[in-house]
Formats: sequence, C-alpha cells, structure tokens
Amino acid sequence: MIKVEHLSKRFGNLTVLSDISTTVCKGEVISIIGPSGTGKSTFLRCLNLLDQPSGGSILIDGVDLLDKHTDVPKIRQKMNMVFQSFNLFSHLTALENLTIGQTRLHGMGKNEAEQKSHELLKLVGLAEKANAYPDELSGGQKQRVAIARCLAMEPEIILFDEPTSALDPTMVSEVLAVIRRLAKDGMTMLIVTHEMDFARDVSSRVFYMDEGGIYEEGTPQQIFEQPQREKTRAFINRVRSFNYQITGPDYDLYAMNAEIEIFCERQILPRRTRHNLLLLVEELLQLHQPLMSTTALELSIAHSEKHDTLEIMLENSGKALNPLENTLQGDDLGLKIITGLTESITYQRLNNKNRVTLLMN
Amino acid sequence: MDIQTQKEANATVLTLSGRMDAVTAPEFEGVIKQLIADNITSFVVDFQGLDYISSAGLRALLATAKLLKGKGGQLRFANITGTVKEVFDISGFGSIFQMHDSVAAALAEIS
Repeated sequence: MIKVEHLSKRFGNLTVLSDISTTVCKGEVISIIGPSGTGKSTFLRCLNLLDQPSGGSILIDGVDLLDKHTDVPKIRQKMNMVFQSFNLFSHLTALENLTIGQTRLHGMGKNEAEQKSHELLKLVGLAEKANAYPDELSGGQKQRVAIARCLAMEPEIILFDEPTSALDPTMVSEVLAVIRRLAKDGMTMLIVTHEMDFARDVSSRVFYMDEGGIYEEGTPQQIFEQPQREKTRAFINRVRSFNYQITGPDYDLYAMNAEIEIFCERQILPRRTRHNLLLLVEELLQLHQPLMSTTALELSIAHSEKHDTLEIMLENSGKALNPLENTLQGDDLGLKIITGLTESITYQRLNNKNRVTLLMN
Repeated sequence: MDIQTQKEANATVLTLSGRMDAVTAPEFEGVIKQLIADNITSFVVDFQGLDYISSAGLRALLATAKLLKGKGGQLRFANITGTVKEVFDISGFGSIFQMHDSVAAALAEIS
C-alpha cells in the first residue's frame, strides 16, 4: 500500500531523515515511537508531502508521490492526517468542519454531506456537539472532531501525528478509544505516539526511530519485551522506569512526588498503588536522611507490566552502610511500614555503592 | 496539610486534612505545642480528611502523646480509615492509641 525507498529529508545542513526504506500493508497499524527530535513527525509529514522529501521515493498503491505528474491533493485525500493541535476551522461548527471538505473537494451535496457528518460525529461520540464551535469543546472533543473530519474524506490511510500530546491526561483515553475502534475496523494507520501502553495494545508493528531512521522495528512484543538494539533497549527501559537524584537533605519532596505521579499516570497504576509507592519512597528516603548531607542518592522506580510489580531502588556511593540494620531514626516505624507494604526488601553493597531494593506488587 | 482547631467543652478537636508527611508533620507538632503551652491538655484528633500519613506523621503523634502524658493530658483519635488506618495497623499504632469511630464518641470518653 505504501512503499518507501531511501527516503531522506534535510533542513539546510541538518539531516533529519536518512535512507528510510519500509513497506506498509493494508490494514496495518504502525506505531512510531522514539525520543524527541528523531524525525518521527517529519517522516509522517514527508509521507503526505507536507514536508518535501530531499531524496528517495514514496509509492502509494504503485503511484510515485514525488513524480511531477502525480495528483498530490488526490493522494492526500487517500492518506489523510490528524495533527497534534487539531487544526479545526475555528469559525465553523463541528458539523461544518466535517461538511466543508466533502462539499468542496468531493463535490457532495450539502444534505448528503451533513447526513454523513452527523453519522461520523456519532461514531466519535459527539452527536450532541454538531452545532458547537471548536472553542466550546474540550481538547479531547476537538481531537475527536478532527478525527471525524479526517474520516469524512474517506481516507484509506490515516497518519496521526502525536494525537494526544496536546491533551490533558484526563482526555487522552477518549481519543485513544476512537483510534482503537478505527484499528479494529481495519483502517490502515501510522501513529506517532508517546503513549506506550496504547502503542503496545493497538499496533500490528512498531517502528522505533532514532539516528534519522527506523532504528528497529518489530511486533509490539518484540520491541517492548525483547528489543534487540542498544538505543531501543535504553529507550524502552527509560519509558518503564523513573529516575531521580536527591542531592541534599533539603530535597523537595513534593517536586519529586509530582514527577512520580506523572510516571504513575503513564504506567496507569491504580490509586492505591500510587499512594503506597509515594509512601515507600518517602520512608526509604527517611531511612537515608542522615546520609544526605554527605552523599547523593539515586532513586529509580521500574514498572514491570508483565509481572505487575514495581521495583524501587535507592543507591548511594557513601561508605558501606546498611540503613535497614542501623535504623538511624531511633525507631523502626519507617521500616515497619516498608516491610508491611513490600514483598521483599534487600540491601546489597555493589561496585562501591550501597543499594536498597524494594519490590512491591 | 490543613489543621483546623475547634474548642469543645472538655477538649480541643484538631481536624486534619491532606498529607501528614516529613514536610507537614513539624507543622502539626508546632500547633499542638503552642496549644499545650496555653495549658490545653485534652485533645481529639480527627483524621477524617487525612489521606496520607508517613512515619514522620506517626512520630509527631507519638511525641505529642509523650508530651501530654508528662502533663496528665489526654489524646484520642477519631475517624481513622482507609490508607491511614492501614499505616496505623502496620506500625502497631492501633494498639497504642485510643481510637474512636467519631469525634463525638472520642469526646464522650474524655474525662
């Protein structure tokens, strides 16, 4: 359906994409993941010529997109795009945002276009908002209108460029639910996303982009559970883990908690687990409080979805000292809480570092 | 953490809400020490609105209890539920302190 060969894109001296070759078949759902600035969005934008490729070829059903004689607007209707920032017409209602393309580009009659638009708004759960203007809609609703508008053009392929990045966390799921439904209905889609659980669930294939290309690709199972290449492994581990450095006794507990909360939200951890995780981290840090003025502490939290466990690790490079044995607080209250909420608690002296590891499930 | 103080006939009720952790526990100790300095020695602490307590909070409660014992005062707890109760149970606090299902029940027990 889509065949990309030796695609490259340069902005001046900066090479963003170099030598990308891949094939996308009908009905495939491909999630494109990777660090910021690795060309994920540029790749999508090159596919429908919002950015002009610097080299290579893109074939859509055998038609060369870069051929001067190709009808690009027609190809774009076949391969429509949903943007991070919705790009709705603010002076038109939700319904009018859907009908305008159908009447002007497809030459459809107004009544027919409106009927179809109502059906599409219903499909994305916004039948009641047909007459609302974009400013009257939430971010999640705007993005659903944008998806319905995209569907109104009857595309065969939809390109999603970070469709949930501009949304409040509470609105992400409503948009992802619509995309999941399209995937179930067999729509061919390429989705640039930072929502890893979604990418794992919905995709038939995952592209990990780095170094200006598709650095590694595979099934969600391969990419998320058994990534083969170094940078993919590092990225996947970073996504699944949280790291924080405590550099002194006056550390900002609430700033750290806020970051842990964001991590928990990404991992979709239940409220009770979040509560216990925050409590365990505070207790663990309290046990280390007397050491904080002499050594930095490295906190890491890793979530294993497969085993449904959380591992909390705290390391320091100070002299050998097991804070679990030498309760520096003068009582064992913190230790009792830690023991009561964890499956295991261990101390190791490794590579001249003290390491305490808690496992909770 | 927010601490509301309400004077009743036989005791002062401290209503806590939010988090009682390493940052906020000293605030609680400061408030109660000031009240004790003003010769108030009977307290009911209402935990209804508290949704987080760590060992730092427990230590503040323990220190308060010790301070009041030395002055012949009383300290009773009301409405300990959910995750706060779990922390009380894990740490063995449930058996140390007098706990009641409501502020009214706690006040009724204050002599």
